[in-house]
Amino acid sequence: MITGPDVRLFADDPMEFFGGSRHAMHTMPPHDLAALQLAALRLRFAELRDRLPVLRAMADEQGIDGITRLDDAAPLLFPHTIYKSYPASLLLEGRFDRLTTWLSRLVTVDLSGLDVSGCDSIDGWLDLLDGRTELRLAHSSGTSGTMSFIPHTREQYTRLYDIVRLEVLPGPERSGERLDVVWPGFRTGRSGIDRHAAAMAERIAGSPDRFHSAHPGPLSADVMFLAARLRAAAARGEAGRMEIPATLRERRAEFEEAQRAAAAGMGRYVEELAERLAGRRVVSLSLWATYHEMATAGLARGIEGVFAPDSVIFPGGGAKGTALPADWARGVERFAGVPALRYCYAMAEVIALNLICPRGRYHIEPWVVLYVLDPDTGAPLPREGTRTGRAAFFDLLADVCWGGFVSGDEVTVDWSPCGCGRTTPHLATDIGRYSDRRGDDKITCAATPEALNDALDFLNGALL
Amino acid sequence: MGAPTIPAFVRGETVWDDPVAFGGTGEACAFRAPDPVALLDRLPLTDPLRMRDLAEVTTSDVVDYLAELGPRLRLSVNGFLREALEHSTAWSDMTPPVLAACYEQLPSLFTPEAVRAVAEGTVGSRFLDGWQEVASPGGGTAAVRAVGARAVHIIAGNNPIIAAITIIRNALVRGDAVIKTPANDPLTAVAVARTMAETAPGHPLTRHLAVAYWKGGGAAVEDRLYQPGNIDKIVAWGGLASVRHVTRYIQPGVELVTLDPKLSATIVGAEAFADEASMAETARLAAVDVGALNQLGCFNARVVHVVTGLDAAGLERAERWGELLHREILRLPAAVSTPARWFDPELRASLRALRTSPDWYRVIGGHDDEGAVVVSRVAEPVDFHTALSGRVANVVPVASPRDALKAMNAYTQTVGVYPESLKRRLRDLLPLYGVQRLVSLGYATRFRPDVPQDAMEPVRRMVKWIVDESCSPGDVHPLGHLDRRAEPWGRS
Repeated sequence: MITGPDVRLFADDPMEFFGGSRHAMHTMPPHDLAALQLAALRLRFAELRDRLPVLRAMADEQGIDGITRLDDAAPLLFPHTIYKSYPASLLLEGRFDRLTTWLSRLVTVDLSGLDVSGCDSIDGWLDLLDGRTELRLAHSSGTSGTMSFIPHTREQYTRLYDIVRLEVLPGPERSGERLDVVWPGFRTGRSGIDRHAAAMAERIAGSPDRFHSAHPGPLSADVMFLAARLRAAAARGEAGRMEIPATLRERRAEFEEAQRAAAAGMGRYVEELAERLAGRRVVSLSLWATYHEMATAGLARGIEGVFAPDSVIFPGGGAKGTALPADWARGVERFAGVPALRYCYAMAEVIALNLICPRGRYHIEPWVVLYVLDPDTGAPLPREGTRTGRAAFFDLLADVCWGGFVSGDEVTVDWSPCGCGRTTPHLATDIGRYSDRRGDDKITCAATPEALNDALDFLNGALL
Repeated sequence: MGAPTIPAFVRGETVWDDPVAFGGTGEACAFRAPDPVALLDRLPLTDPLRMRDLAEVTTSDVVDYLAELGPRLRLSVNGFLREALEHSTAWSDMTPPVLAACYEQLPSLFTPEAVRAVAEGTVGSRFLDGWQEVASPGGGTAAVRAVGARAVHIIAGNNPIIAAITIIRNALVRGDAVIKTPANDPLTAVAVARTMAETAPGHPLTRHLAVAYWKGGGAAVEDRLYQPGNIDKIVAWGGLASVRHVTRYIQPGVELVTLDPKLSATIVGAEAFADEASMAETARLAAVDVGALNQLGCFNARVVHVVTGLDAAGLERAERWGELLHREILRLPAAVSTPARWFDPELRASLRALRTSPDWYRVIGGHDDEGAVVVSRVAEPVDFHTALSGRVANVVPVASPRDALKAMNAYTQTVGVYPESLKRRLRDLLPLYGVQRLVSLGYATRFRPDVPQDAMEPVRRMVKWIVDESCSPGDVHPLGHLDRRAEPWGRS
């Protein structure tokens, strides 16, 4: 029997609801979990529908007044383009007032009093939002020519890392304990993954001296956006027409420093880690390719078995089109000195790590409703058996913005209980991107976005 | 219907040997075709001396040959083409009615008038049929001849006309062609080739053609085929998609001609919005540029810049015109345009996203994947403009035609312009932004094979330009170009 307060607690604070037990989170009978998720989804829809203009527009468009089954919400899952559904010129011309108005349609947070007149850069705008509101926008790399801004809140990241603590420091007796965090990137930043840095520093490391980043500085959203635009302009033969805004020219020294840091590679960092953290238990989260780079640099210097064997390394993000050697993970394990990596299936849009189980399956966290959609029509596939399709999610933790999101990932889900004992839906690890799929050897005279991206990659390859 | 087996065509002979499965996903393949590796010994012309028979063929012979072939390519009498059409749903992104109309166009490309226009408009028959004297200001004489080359043609498959044009071009230049068919049209080139074998078996033009399918990038085929001993040129449509693997083989002796993938745009001048009749007429013309051939071509309009201004009245005009455009797209006859066979789910998602952003965009139609018009309320295209397909156009209001130029770049092929006077004003300026072809509004998809293509002349690059220079010491001093003070040349 699910009561109203239960549903509220489940949606707002799953850790509390499940009594601080990871086991409980992943062993609820599937039917009960689905009922709970439906109740929580209905709660979010009821609370947000009339307060989020974007959601209301979409619900009106689809003629959806209420949700009686989980599948009813499928037409309301946001396409990723929602988070960049503003004209690119707003960003190029620094119209942060109008960007704020655009953002206000996606969140219930009152932004009307926010004075953005002093903002002259993306970093400045995000600074202001971080400082004055509970919002924590995660931005994309900007490679499409526009930057996506995905709204989350500070609270969401905090709750996630309270749960991650349970993974790395289980048991109430360890609640005061802190661990060294290895963060092989810029110390701070606001991209999808870099938003995790602050939460890890606070909830796991506890103090700055236990948070070990590869680069001391921040990763600037403006630099990422400018770099992406420069590459795109070069590919289109427009590089000579690009104008660098004055506000960015003034920050040249900062950017050059960032560039130096990135170019310096991992050599110095792995040496520092070997000196400072030898034999210590650490927690780390990063991308597959970053770990591969780190391990390659370490092993080339004869550094291996650096950390304690019970350290926890969370690689995420997949290969992302980079050609990693088949045995890259063995190198990372050897360098770090851990018997196995804890892969996670995470993305900027959904606040969850969806960790891998001993059977090699990604388990979807209970506060995330998984949808597997027909890749062409977007219709939800039955929530039973084994299904392959486009992954979509509803993040029930999202309370000031809409948690529904359609990914570009092709996944295979098994809805039946896993051999590991968990009952939550679980995904096979070979996850593909639909954008890489279509048109194998179909040749056309019309340029496609993929063809343009290929040109970009080709050009970048030629420049390096 | 099971997956069809598609033969290869090797120098006059139809080959069905060793079929293997290609294309498709999962268990189902799209088609079967002869194992390309087994064909390798016969595909290329390893001995260039065997092109001697082509030297005897004149442009008139080619015109006659193609004129006889053309009527046999009518869909009503050609079983091979009908078969290609019947099976097209296994691989083509086009719908059957539009594809049928394309096939019905084929005979018109083979008429003597059409073929002569291509011959004279590109290389010129006088260079193809013999040695052509050219001016020699420094004394002596020189003659030039365009000689056929051995080429692999990696063709595009979004329109079957491309296969036919390639065969016509190869005949005209008296080349030896190996056509690598694409997965989205593996049958048209074979169908035309088999009709050639029926029409004129043993003719040199029939015997200097091979057609086969292999998966682009397949090293087992390409490592052996793309060698200077086998071919002189590679003509590749589709840019990086088809060229990426080819660049490895480029070396002295193998020339690459690329017909890059492009996108096209439209500029509709203020005159179009002067009165209701002009608005209706221009929307009707623009609908052809957007919708014809189901917007699968490089020359189809995608972003339509309209000079309405950006004030409230201007935006209102742009939206009203966008509604007319959407209506006219839906009114196009099925032979010209239909709703897409496969509507890109990413594009559908992008349209959904913009529907929630009414401050910046208005999305007209598109609920049933029938085609849509996105009207921007700012002077910039949507960020997914390169993905516009399935009869989806983006109408972008601008204050002046010059504001549209910002959106043009190295990927812009055709720009349809209204009215003519504006086109004339823009034609010296647009090429600086990358534009390759200007055309009257409504005619963007009318392909003319007799004029340059993609800012170059592919047919002139398909031949080898050979020169024969003649001098004698009586009129040109043998050392004269090296030593101006040379002693007079006398008999020693």
